[in-house]
Amino acid sequence: MGLGVLVPAFLAGLAALAIPVVLHLRHRDKDRPYRFPSLMFLEQLPIRTAERRRITDLPLMLLRALAVALLVLAFTRPVFSRDVKTEQSKRVRAMILMVDRSMSMGHRDVWPAALDSARTVIASLGAGDRLALVLFDDEAEVAQPFSTDRSAALAVLAKARPADRGTRYPAALRAARQLAAKPGEATPEVVIITDLQRTGVSGVAGLDLPKGLTVRTIAVGPKSRANATVASVDIHRTIEPLRTMLAVESRIVAREGAAARTAQATLILNGRPSGTKRVTIPAAGEARVLFTPVLLPAGLVRGSVSIDNDALAADDTFHFAFAARDELRVLLVAPDDAVGEETLFFERALLVGHAPSIRIERVRAAGLDANRLDGAALVVLWDAPVPSGRASAALTEWVRRGGGVVVAAGRRSVGRVSTSTLMPARIVGEADRLTDRGGSLGDVRFDHPLFSAFRSAPAALSAARFLRYPRIEPAVGTDVLARFDDGQPAVVEHREGSGRIVLVGMPLDARSGDFPLQSSFLPFLHRLTLYTSGRDATPFARTTGQSWVLSGALKEPAVLTPDGSILRPAKDTGGSTVALREAGVYALYEGRVQGEPTALLAVNAPANESDLTSVDPRELLLGVRQSTATADATNEVPTRSEVEGRQRLWRGLLIALAVLLLGETFMANRGWRGIANGNGATRTEGSAS
Amino acid sequence: MASAPASFLDPALLARISDLSLLARTVVDGFMHGQHRSLRKGSSMDFAQHRSYQPGDDLRRIDWRVFGRTDRFYVKEYEADTNASVMFALDSTGSMDFGSGPVTKYDYGRFLIASLAWLSQAQGDRVGLATFTGDLVDVVPPSTRHLQLLLHTLARSKATGTGHLAKAIERFTHLSARTGIAVLVTDCYETPDALGRAAASLRMRGHDVIVFHLVDPAERDFPFTAATTFEDAESGTRLPLRPDDLRGKYKELLGAHHVAVAQRLAAAGADYVRVDTDQPLDRALHAYLDRRLARSRVR
Repeated sequence: MGLGVLVPAFLAGLAALAIPVVLHLRHRDKDRPYRFPSLMFLEQLPIRTAERRRITDLPLMLLRALAVALLVLAFTRPVFSRDVKTEQSKRVRAMILMVDRSMSMGHRDVWPAALDSARTVIASLGAGDRLALVLFDDEAEVAQPFSTDRSAALAVLAKARPADRGTRYPAALRAARQLAAKPGEATPEVVIITDLQRTGVSGVAGLDLPKGLTVRTIAVGPKSRANATVASVDIHRTIEPLRTMLAVESRIVAREGAAARTAQATLILNGRPSGTKRVTIPAAGEARVLFTPVLLPAGLVRGSVSIDNDALAADDTFHFAFAARDELRVLLVAPDDAVGEETLFFERALLVGHAPSIRIERVRAAGLDANRLDGAALVVLWDAPVPSGRASAALTEWVRRGGGVVVAAGRRSVGRVSTSTLMPARIVGEADRLTDRGGSLGDVRFDHPLFSAFRSAPAALSAARFLRYPRIEPAVGTDVLARFDDGQPAVVEHREGSGRIVLVGMPLDARSGDFPLQSSFLPFLHRLTLYTSGRDATPFARTTGQSWVLSGALKEPAVLTPDGSILRPAKDTGGSTVALREAGVYALYEGRVQGEPTALLAVNAPANESDLTSVDPRELLLGVRQSTATADATNEVPTRSEVEGRQRLWRGLLIALAVLLLGETFMANRGWRGIANGNGATRTEGSAS
Repeated sequence: MASAPASFLDPALLARISDLSLLARTVVDGFMHGQHRSLRKGSSMDFAQHRSYQPGDDLRRIDWRVFGRTDRFYVKEYEADTNASVMFALDSTGSMDFGSGPVTKYDYGRFLIASLAWLSQAQGDRVGLATFTGDLVDVVPPSTRHLQLLLHTLARSKATGTGHLAKAIERFTHLSARTGIAVLVTDCYETPDALGRAAASLRMRGHDVIVFHLVDPAERDFPFTAATTFEDAESGTRLPLRPDDLRGKYKELLGAHHVAVAQRLAAAGADYVRVDTDQPLDRALHAYLDRRLARSRVR
């Protein structure tokens, strides 16, 4: 055991020992000078004090020098240390080998090189060295914890394949931190075998790694980063008198190619080739391919668009799925006294358009039951009360399972009392704006999906004039999405279970305003229908790494994954969730996995995974912090209490310093200065008046 | 002329009075109580004599009856023409902030000026004040209504910094266009020539000049015994000394300086009054009144 210091730089402070000596010589007799009106006569006298250049208080000066030396030594943090080198040599080496298995690693030249590098690294380990193997993409999987069994690690590597997943280095580094924090292991070395894809670096900055944890990267990126991918697909339905045709258009993106090339694009619908096109893919840029329209298949449609494979084949196919019959069934509940022209504009507006096409059924309030509601997307209560009795219960249950209700409030709703939870507000009266040429919409929440389409053209909404409209008093827990220019609520939203209820106070007929005559009427009604029915939340295709939330209304949901395995997710009150781990089409069934699926969901690898641009290895860890505290926690050899115990010497030094300063005070007050203060003249401080 | 009761004029006693107005009244009343004849020459318009008209004289003072008889211009002169201007100049340099007794030189100077100002005001004179270091610091223009302002300015003034007497006095001479009495209170840490030039410049402007030279007993006697470092109150210069070895030579130099100052000021036509700060104020007051009486006969 020897004595060392933690901060040797502070030893330079010993130069401060000269300070008391110099001060002693220079200011020995200047500490408390006697203030005299003028020295104009005294300066003329030839006198000097001989004692000035001689040290007279040697013990006092030595005491002060010792105090400075103690202070300096305390700051250097002296520590009793063991022979560190001997201990380190006794430790075994530990390594965390991390292999990138994201989609980009599936490049023709990359994956074999990655495996070779991993095997070389494993072979370089000594007999007693411990190895942990981590496979990562957008999440990290500890394939093998710390072990000396190299054959097991090699077996895991042999089975590993690139996945259809993105790259996220933060996930890998967090896994390394977690492994390094395990007690009993020496601070490991982290080796990352990766193609250093730039898109995966996001989120690394700010990560906290243990101090002493070294991270080494082995880059196995391709020599050529040229890559083309099918980035997206659009579907167009063409409705003809007797049939509906389907036109598929895909977008192909190319990056860093040497030259433009010609490729063949293939469309597959429900497993059958449905069209091919020759396409010229530029060196860098995008090309669009419009396949010849084909007859729209019935039911749920799954499809894909592929191009001729390049070095990275995984992103050369784009999967998609949709329902052939894209129809919304809307149940319109109108009062008995409603004349036909009252809902004329509303019905005609909904019938315009085919994506989706809307089918309106007029029903009586009492006729709402579970059978009628089954398959409906939306119920519109046109100035009609919320049904009561069994109809109310059926409607409430239907909404809680995901149905949507639009309450179009009108003059009949004034004063109507409803205790149903489906009524988000009370109509307390009617505003008459005839005298001021009608009101308009004032405060609209354009950040809401219902109005987001009007964000760039708010004037289209405010152009509509409303002569009469109901005064709405929103219930607690509701959300006001728009207000009239007099501050009265115009659109109120309420959530009930998985469903949405939207109350519209704006007159939707032409008698109480000119809204149906405005250009914003049609898009507003379509947005209202899609949003309230929940259709806008259904994605066309998702990416791996996301989740598929299944409705809680499903009984025994079963999901057939693209690789053919069957998942039966656990259910709770909010439904169940399926992690989307691979690209392809997921099929949802109820009960047994056979026949026509209930729903399809297409999943593709993240688009940015096709960008093979690499990052400099030095930039990979840019912004990563290394904390001492974590390092202490991971190092098993000296415990925290041991380390603190060895450094306790500085406290003793400071205590000795305090005692020394007390002695200095005592000695200083007994020196010749005390005698000097006994002058015959009295010192006067300040004015006496 | 009898002396005032010492109990009213003892600086140690006066140091306990914080209000300068009260202090000045106490001093003056105590001093006046000891006088055998009235100090008030009165402000009557008693005729004194005629004198020939000189260019610049006020035409309203020409005696037209004499002109009618003699066909010459004469002006009248009267006894006890009051409303003289008394300007006090107080040295506020750091050297004044020294006192080996209960009062510093600066305190003593303030007591002195307050008392003299009160006395002057009682005689109907205009009083003004200027404190100076290297330049003028605070200025109260002469007026019959400025006594309280003068006392307030005195009370809040402090002695600090270095000084340059000649330059400050040069500025001081321009403060009042009217001639009067200039009372200079200083510790005279300046060369006799510089002091003489300052007094001469005041005399050139027509002022009567009284210089009160304040001396602290420790300055005068240099009673220090132990070796110590002395620090100049103005410049901060430090000098380690053994006073025992120097006392004799120091007192010689100081005495010679005082004599030279007195001679040089006398040559310049100024009255020189040395005042030791351990002495009562009456000597200073007598000196002032003598000067005031000498000026009482004016045009």
